[in-house]
Amino acid sequence: MHVSYEKQVLSNGLEVILHSDRSCPIVAVNLWYHVGSKNEQLGRTGFAHLFEHLMFEGSAHHDRGYFAPLQEVGGALNGSTNADRTNYWEVVPTGALERALWMESDRMGFLLSALTPEKFETQRKVVLNERRQNYENRPYGMVSMVLMPALFPHGHPYRWNTIGEPSDLMAASFNDVRQFFSTYYHPGNASLVLAGDIDVVQGFDLVERYFGPISKGPPRPAVDVSDTPVDCEQRLLLEDRVDLARVYLSWRSPALFCEGDAGLDLLATILTAGKSSRLYQRLVRDGQLALDVSAGQSSREIDGIFSIVATAVPGGSLTEIEKVIADELYQLQHDGPTDDEMERSKMTVEADFAYRVQSLGDFGGRSDQLNAYNVYLDNPGYFDADLARYLQINSAAIQSLAQRYLTDQRRVALSVIPVGADSAIGLPHSTRVVVG
Amino acid sequence: MNTVDRSCLPAVGPPALFRPPQLRHTRLTNGVDVFTATHHRAPVLTLKLLLPVGAADDPDNRHGLAALTGDILDEGTCQLTDVDLHKALTRIGAHLGIVVSSDATTLTLTTLAKHAREAVALLLDVVAHPRLSSDDIARVRDLRCNRILQMRQVPSAVADRVFMKSVYGSHPYGHLSIGTHTALSEIDASAVTEFHSRCYQATGWTLVAVGDMSHDRLLETVQSEIDRVVQGASSSPFVPGSRLQEPPTVKNRLVFVPRPDAVQSEVRLGHPGVSRISEDYHALLVLNMVLGGQFVSRINLNLREDKGYTYGAHTSFDFRVGRGPFSFRSSVQTSVTAAAIREAIQEIQDIQTTRLPTSHELRVARDALTRGFPRGLETASQVARVGTTLALHGLPVDEMDNFVQRVMAVDLDRVVAAAGTHLHPDKLVTVVVGSADEVLPSLETLGLGTPYLVE
Repeated sequence: MHVSYEKQVLSNGLEVILHSDRSCPIVAVNLWYHVGSKNEQLGRTGFAHLFEHLMFEGSAHHDRGYFAPLQEVGGALNGSTNADRTNYWEVVPTGALERALWMESDRMGFLLSALTPEKFETQRKVVLNERRQNYENRPYGMVSMVLMPALFPHGHPYRWNTIGEPSDLMAASFNDVRQFFSTYYHPGNASLVLAGDIDVVQGFDLVERYFGPISKGPPRPAVDVSDTPVDCEQRLLLEDRVDLARVYLSWRSPALFCEGDAGLDLLATILTAGKSSRLYQRLVRDGQLALDVSAGQSSREIDGIFSIVATAVPGGSLTEIEKVIADELYQLQHDGPTDDEMERSKMTVEADFAYRVQSLGDFGGRSDQLNAYNVYLDNPGYFDADLARYLQINSAAIQSLAQRYLTDQRRVALSVIPVGADSAIGLPHSTRVVVG
Repeated sequence: MNTVDRSCLPAVGPPALFRPPQLRHTRLTNGVDVFTATHHRAPVLTLKLLLPVGAADDPDNRHGLAALTGDILDEGTCQLTDVDLHKALTRIGAHLGIVVSSDATTLTLTTLAKHAREAVALLLDVVAHPRLSSDDIARVRDLRCNRILQMRQVPSAVADRVFMKSVYGSHPYGHLSIGTHTALSEIDASAVTEFHSRCYQATGWTLVAVGDMSHDRLLETVQSEIDRVVQGASSSPFVPGSRLQEPPTVKNRLVFVPRPDAVQSEVRLGHPGVSRISEDYHALLVLNMVLGGQFVSRINLNLREDKGYTYGAHTSFDFRVGRGPFSFRSSVQTSVTAAAIREAIQEIQDIQTTRLPTSHELRVARDALTRGFPRGLETASQVARVGTTLALHGLPVDEMDNFVQRVMAVDLDRVVAAAGTHLHPDKLVTVVVGSADEVLPSLETLGLGTPYLVE
């Protein structure tokens, strides 16, 4: 799937990528700041995400909400933060592109003078509400708060969750906000994509005009990673407000675009994608042990996580489920996937590549992917090469990945059981954990 | 180069001339409606097959039957076992989704355009010749029963279920598609088989095909496969149930579902709204943008940005074949539950009395809808969704060509009139899922009567 583009770097360091597709009168603006929760410090977690909220509260020359001027001209917009990056996007009708660039550049260049403690307080409340709504008040919502510290040791920045600890959020000071902005929110740490109904030359001119005068900030501080991986199985047990028990098996795995991440994507597909997948057949269809099962390779910038998750039927045994999963992994480690599985999983990936480039904007659309390839690989046009990585994988490679990564001693096995239930529902020899 | 004038926002150019992707409608001799549209953005094909049967057609005491029948379709066909069917789907990289709403059953199959013929054949086989084995039906039914159990712990799902029941009672819209545990667990294979043969008649089908192919090739591919599967028009067409009947009068206006120690309250407010074919459809779209339909709407700015009560608050009109609900939805901090409800009701009252929509709000809402219109027709699946909407509501094939003009024709008088006619603050039903200890006492102060408790 070829996606054409042109790239320039402004003198202030801003990387700019233009992709012209004039089939619909819209332009997607997608801006990445290379900062996420892994750039935070212990005791100050949740900050990158809290800051993302503040970016919508107005800047020096437009000290009001960010949504109104864009929504009222038919634009859609949002932002998100993960461990590695923060992205902001607008999809606007062609005629409103300059307005979007004006707004994005104003908050890149002139945010601090408009930031007030009052805005900070309100958004801290909103974020705490977001945490309650999406984590604390949601079944299985606290699982990542248990898994991440189990997978990643002290000193590894993936140990904490992007949403952050409430006590850290409460401890964050207004001064932290200013410091954070100066360090990370500047052209030298950003990558901007314009995609859609725009002429490439005109696009570069506009970007230079709006973003060129913003001065470059300091180099991004290196992320400290001290990492002594745990080398024995961890079995944990969490009580949660759920009716059905669920088991999470997780392993550390290769980072994004590193050797093995594509193979583990295929392996996850073979295990659980669709009703012809191995674990769906054995756990849900034939065994009727599980209500659902899913697997995934979550590839991040400096590390990855491979996980398999299954929800037990009422009264079902997590031990039985775990046995079936272990058996399928054993078979893959010994025989590798079949030729038919290889062929079908590659077709699934090839099609998914095509589906992902249908939208210009939004999360995961063309503009977001151009930025991902640019920020992580310095190669915005990596689409075809990325797909080729998947298509050249053979069964033996998957077999060896399963052998290397998905071993019992490398895994975290977390049982989530209903509050007050007999802990025998969970896997045996599990250590009970409590999260706040 | 000019420096940027930061004293004011750049003006916005006139809306680009935008001709929505053109759907072409063909009625085949066997009664199947076909919509086709060419779409070149990616080498992708989206197929949507719409059947005008939904959860509103569930027989009494069989709530969940339509959705179970929909769910069983991809468990194998007369020719293919379930595993072989799903292998065939993955071999063409297809995603098959089956959604049963109150009004309709929609199957969506996305694949690469190069696999068009195989995809159409599989999709039609799934609908026309499902295996419907008793074992599979029992197994899938049990899975769905367990899903109902699971949903009891999801506050937003509980709130949605209780809200529809509280607003619609025994009306066909009063239950969710998934049904109730009691009813679903008693549905047997013969009920599913009977429902399928009675309600899945090809006369009512609409197949929408949008993708990276010419109209002619799309139509030819679709038609030859339909002709293979469907023999002649049905003699006894399926007649949808009574979703057009008036919703009943509500007894309890304040309904509370206890969730001990909940850190947030899920809140729903609402009442029956209007059908999609209402003459006020476009005026209500505009009204909702002002009230709670976007981030900068009155309700979200008040509850989220001004008060910090919530991560978000929204309103919507659910335009169905019958009178779908008007609703307000939010998840709010426990301690401010009553205050948030009071604010939401006040906003709904004010917009039809003391704070009518202003001309500025009207302009903003209309611009947002009309200038944002092309954005909603960017991908093949978005265009295909237009096709199923046209078919479900019997709208003309050029409906989208007139959208912008109709929204721009909504003036202040019409939006004010729509607010007056279609919002009923005094008839709002309020549903709260939250901590009884912390929330119940404050709800008594709302003046909505004694909270009716639902477990």
